[in-house]
Amino acid sequence: MFKKILIANRGEIALRVIRACRELGIQTVAIHSEADAASLHVRFADESVCIGPPDATLSYRNIPNILSAAEITGAEAIHPGYGFLAENSHFAEVCESAGIKFIGPFPESISLMGDKAKARETMMRKGIPVIPGSEGKVANEKEAAEVAKKIGYPVIIKAVAGGGGRGMRVVHRQEELAKSLQAAQMEAKGAFGDDGVYIEKYFMDPRHIEVQVLADEKGKVIHLGERDCSIQRRHQKLIEESPSPVVDDRLRRELGAAALEAVSASHYVNAGTVEFLLDKDHNFYFIEMNTRIQVEHPITEMVSGIDLVKEQIKIAAGRSLEFKQSQIKLRGHSFECRINAEDPEKFTPSPGTITSFHLPGGPGIRVDSGIYLNGVVTPYYDSLIAKLIVHAGTRDEAIAKMRGALSEFIVEGIKTTLPLHKRVFNDPAFIKGRFSTNFLERFLSSLSLPLQ
Amino acid sequence: MDLNEIKKLADLMSEMALTEIELEEGGTRIKLRKEILLPSKERGSISVPSTHMEHEIVTAIETKTEGGRYALIRSPIVGTFYKAASPDADPYVEIGDIVKKGQILCIVEAMKLMNEIESDVDGKIVEICVEDGTAVEYGKPLFRIEPS
Repeated sequence: MFKKILIANRGEIALRVIRACRELGIQTVAIHSEADAASLHVRFADESVCIGPPDATLSYRNIPNILSAAEITGAEAIHPGYGFLAENSHFAEVCESAGIKFIGPFPESISLMGDKAKARETMMRKGIPVIPGSEGKVANEKEAAEVAKKIGYPVIIKAVAGGGGRGMRVVHRQEELAKSLQAAQMEAKGAFGDDGVYIEKYFMDPRHIEVQVLADEKGKVIHLGERDCSIQRRHQKLIEESPSPVVDDRLRRELGAAALEAVSASHYVNAGTVEFLLDKDHNFYFIEMNTRIQVEHPITEMVSGIDLVKEQIKIAAGRSLEFKQSQIKLRGHSFECRINAEDPEKFTPSPGTITSFHLPGGPGIRVDSGIYLNGVVTPYYDSLIAKLIVHAGTRDEAIAKMRGALSEFIVEGIKTTLPLHKRVFNDPAFIKGRFSTNFLERFLSSLSLPLQ
Repeated sequence: MDLNEIKKLADLMSEMALTEIELEEGGTRIKLRKEILLPSKERGSISVPSTHMEHEIVTAIETKTEGGRYALIRSPIVGTFYKAASPDADPYVEIGDIVKKGQILCIVEAMKLMNEIESDVDGKIVEICVEDGTAVEYGKPLFRIEPS
């Protein structure tokens, strides 16, 4: 087992990893930018190293400084968290060359799944259903038009190097294709440095269903059920739940089997998530695979009873998975609300100092957060400040529990999305489990404002 | 007022070559004064806690002042500080040396690469802030220079 791990991240996930390390008796090294010197993850780690100025490119994505920090502290492994360098295959390679264990999959898996078009091709070859679309990148407008005609409008143009919901364009008619193609390519070039795009069929009311997988280095793989992440705004998840209200045991087995196929197709090791789209008839299609621990991992931990971050560390240390698929039992229902430092109506960032702070508690309530009273939420990083997670015996109980928890969650001094979460958890359609990925946009446009 | 704000004041003093700053804000008053560091001066055994920042502040507040002004050369990378190019070479600089902008002051070694750290001011070395062979983080003060 490792003696010391460096956490190449910040905020709530850095604290999450520190907690797992502590429980495993592993020393922790926190890295931080100058803006995060007073952060919780710095405070609770055994050691800390400042690795740069506030700008993430010069700090949290500064590979030389991060590796050097591992060297001077004697860290044997690096946990990349999510975002930043978590899916940077070059970083994973450089760690390998430096003799530092990267806690995650091998670089080749990261590259393969990071290229969204290649990932699709790989899945297609394995017989995993993928969304009808182009075979990889579209070479030009002519090919794009042919593909779109074949699969039928509406279609969606996506960036090959993209992710996180950026670099996408929906096209409803042939006449709009050329313009949208150009716009998508430009946006992709700007955001990801690669203007490659591919095309997929666009579904009107799909659900986003993803499956958590774990694979050890000895070839053993299991899945831990699905998460329904359909409550999204502009492709950014806001509320997640496990299990999905529309997935029955049979569908779960099929999704799980497909996810495990994806894992073997990519020689995947460690924790990962296979994302699917579920159409109205409950057909599922592979979208992409995320080769990292995800923000919403806690809801899977609540229903499975398994600590995913500890499993990541154990897998990286060469240990075999202790559970068989048949031993995985999913119990109850869990929700997560992502609480962002944003205006709940305009979604503009709301940095500032936290002047009042109270967290909910009680059975089945969990909060993963990096903020604290009098702490400062800076404008330099993403706006996620806390994840409120609940677990109860049934979906209805979990909803009631979340409502209660939301009412006790007090943050003042900055604006947060708490009021929005409260409204969603009182919405009849949401309560019935009737929603698709279009739910939130429609909900927001029909809201009577102000929210607060 | 928290440590971050005090640090900002201390940095401001360095940048603007001030010897003293006093600030009153919402019922709190704080005064920071700079010192001239002579080679023989005892700086007291202030144990360095987890952040370099605290050491910096304690030095600024606790020791007596005599006027003087400094530029701080801070490490732009993470690594190990070496005062000379090799173990048996002479140090690049000693206390009291006059240095020019662009002159190499030390090495910070990171992942087997030797990075030469240059002065960004003309002046006189008044303090070497780290011991030879110790680890430095980004922003760690390496040298205090009295600008000329």
